[in-house]
Amino acid sequence: MAPSFIVKKILIANRGEIAVRISRACREMGISPVAVYSECDRAALHVRYADEAYAIGPSAPRDSYLRIDRLLDAARAAGADAVHPGYGFLAENADFAAACRDAGLTFIGPTPEAIALMGSKTAARAAAIKAGVPVVPGTEDPLAADLADDEIARAAERIGYPLLVKAVAGGGGKGMRTVTAPADLAGAVRAARSEAGSAFGDAAVYFERRLTRPRHIEVQLLGDQHGTVVPFVERECSIQRRHQKVVEETPSLAVSPALRAAMTSSAAAVARAVGYTSAGTIEFLLDEDGRFYFLEMNTRLQVEHPVTEMVTGLDLVRWQIAIARGERLDVDPASALTPTGHAIECRIYAEDPDNNFLPSPGRILQLRAPAGPGIRDDSGATAGLDVPIFYDPMISKLIAWAEDRPRAVVRMRRALGEYLVAGIKTTVPFFTWLFAQPEFIEGRFHTAYLDEVLKARNGRPFVEPSADVEDVAAIAAALHAALSPRAAAAGSTAPAARPWKTQARVEGLR
Amino acid sequence: MQYEIEVGGRRRHVVVHREGDRFDVSIDGRPFQVNAVRIDAQVLSLIVGAASFEVTVAPDAAPAPLIVRVGTTPVVVEFQGLNGRRRFGQRGDPADVGTGPQRIAAPMPGKIVRVLVKTGEAVVARQPLVVVEAMKMENELRARRDGTIAEVHAKEGQSVEAGALLVVIQ
Repeated sequence: MAPSFIVKKILIANRGEIAVRISRACREMGISPVAVYSECDRAALHVRYADEAYAIGPSAPRDSYLRIDRLLDAARAAGADAVHPGYGFLAENADFAAACRDAGLTFIGPTPEAIALMGSKTAARAAAIKAGVPVVPGTEDPLAADLADDEIARAAERIGYPLLVKAVAGGGGKGMRTVTAPADLAGAVRAARSEAGSAFGDAAVYFERRLTRPRHIEVQLLGDQHGTVVPFVERECSIQRRHQKVVEETPSLAVSPALRAAMTSSAAAVARAVGYTSAGTIEFLLDEDGRFYFLEMNTRLQVEHPVTEMVTGLDLVRWQIAIARGERLDVDPASALTPTGHAIECRIYAEDPDNNFLPSPGRILQLRAPAGPGIRDDSGATAGLDVPIFYDPMISKLIAWAEDRPRAVVRMRRALGEYLVAGIKTTVPFFTWLFAQPEFIEGRFHTAYLDEVLKARNGRPFVEPSADVEDVAAIAAALHAALSPRAAAAGSTAPAARPWKTQARVEGLR
Repeated sequence: MQYEIEVGGRRRHVVVHREGDRFDVSIDGRPFQVNAVRIDAQVLSLIVGAASFEVTVAPDAAPAPLIVRVGTTPVVVEFQGLNGRRRFGQRGDPADVGTGPQRIAAPMPGKIVRVLVKTGEAVVARQPLVVVEAMKMENELRARRDGTIAEVHAKEGQSVEAGALLVVIQ
C-alpha cells in the first residue's frame, strides 16, 4: 500500500542526544532534519547536525522547548511536513499533538486522544482492567478534593498498608509518597497533592498498594494505523535512583519464556484496547511471587529504546516515521520477541556521584566516547560545549551489546574505562562501581535496591584511588606544570574572582 | 623543578628533572622514570617505567583544585605554594576534618524547595540541610561535618543564584 503521507522534512521539537538520534534516522531515510534551539543551545550538537535550525526563545524550557506556538512557527518557516517530539518536553502533551494535527503537520507519535487517555493514571488503569490485564490493587478513581480525612483513611484501609499516594498526572516519582502507617496518611496525601499541583498543574491523587520488592519490567511496542500491534522482548529497568532509571537492559534475567509470552500479550492487549499507534511502552511491576501488574503506559519513544534496537536489529525511530506515513508494520512478531544477545544501557549524567549526585554543569573540556565492538554511544555532547543548567543533565547513553549478559557486563566495564570526560563530573565512576557489585552481576535486584545500597554506603567515594594511582596523579600534575608554564602559574595562584564568592562555590560543591 | 603537591590528603615533595621526552621524577625521594607526551591542553600520555597511563588534568568545576584522571579514576590534586603557604580557597583533606565555619552555598541557580534545619540546631556530618531544585532534580545540600547551625539564609520557595550563601555551620 502506498504511504498516505509524504514526509520530506521533520521538525524535531527537542534537544540534546534524542534530537541527534532522530536526525540520524531522518538522514538514513532521505528526510531533512530541522532543529530548534533555545538561547543557551545555539552551539549544541543537535543544531550543528541538522539541515536547518530555528531559534525558539530563552533558555528556560517554558520559554522555548515548551512553547507550542514557537515550535509551530518554526515548522511553518521551515516548510516541515511532520514533527517529532522526542521524549520529555511536549512528547506526552495531547494539546501539542492536536495543535500539530490542526496545523496540517503529521505528529510522529500516537493520537492526541491516546496521549490524553493514557496520560491519566486512573484512566490508564481502567483501560488495562478492561483489557483483562491485572493492575496493582488501588483506588479506581482519584480521591475527591473535598474527601474528609476519615473517608480517606477508610479508602486506604481497603487497599492495605504499605501504600503509595500517587499523582494522577504523575511521573518520575513526583507527587508520590509511601505511607507505612495510618498515622502518616493525611500528611502524605496533603504533601502529594501540593507537589502534584505544582509539578503537573493537577493536584488529583489516588492510592496504590506498594509491592515490597518488585522489579520494573516494561514492554516496548509498535502499533500501525491498520490495527497491527507488535510487542517486543521486555526491558528490565529496576536499577533506579530516586524513581529515575539509571540502567536498563534486555532481556530480563527474571523473565522466563512463559512469563515473557504473558507480559507481552498483556501489553499488546492494552495497546489494542486503546487503538494505539506509533511507539509506546507498557510498564509493569513484577512481584517476587512472579505475578505482574500494569503500572502505566508511556505514549512516546523512551530514553532506553536503544537496548531494544540492539537485540532486535530494528530502528524504532525509523518505524515511528514509517508508521506516521501510513506504512504497514511488517515486523515478524516472533523475531520481535526473540532477542539476539543481551544489551545494557547506562545513562551518563553530568552529576557528581561522590557528592550525593549533585548536578555538575559547566564546560566540557575533553570528551572521548568509548567505541569498538558492541558499543553504542548516543550523545548530544561534545568538547567545548557547556552542560546547561536548564535541562536534564544527561549527556549520553552508553549501550553495550554482547552475546550474553555476562559478556555484556564485561564489555560495559571495558567501555566505562574508555570514557574520557574532563571539565565536568560524570556518573561514570558510579557505574564502574555498580558493574562490580555481586547483586548487579548476578541480577539480584529490585526497584529499591540501588537506593538501599546508596543509603548504606553513606556517601563513600565510588572509586578510591590506590596508592599507585595517587603517585601517577602527582607525577601527572607535576609534569603538567613542568610542560606548560602557564598551567603551573594557574595551578599555584588563586584566580582573580572575588575571593568570598570563590570560597562559597568551592565549599558548596564539596 | 620542585612542587609541593597534595594528593589524598597527604602532601608530597615532587622533584622533576627533564631530559628530552624523559623525566626523572622523585616523590618524597622515591624515583620514577617517566616518558611523557602532551596530547593536548588537558591530556598527557605517561609511561612510568613500562606502565602506560592516559591522564587528563583539568580544573574542577570550582576554580581549584585540579582533577587528575588516571584512566577514569578521578584524583583531587592541589598544588601548595613552595613556601608551604596554603592558597586561599583550598580546603583540607577530602574528609574535611578542618575547623572553622562551614559555609554552604548554592552550587547552581535554582529554587529552595525545603529548609531542613533551624538556627541553633546541632547537625552531624552528611545531614541534609537544604533541598534545592535545579536541573529538573531535587538536590540535597548536606553538612560536611558535625556542628551547630549559626545562620540560615535560605527560605522555602526562594530562587537563588549560584554561590548564594544558604547556611553557615559553626
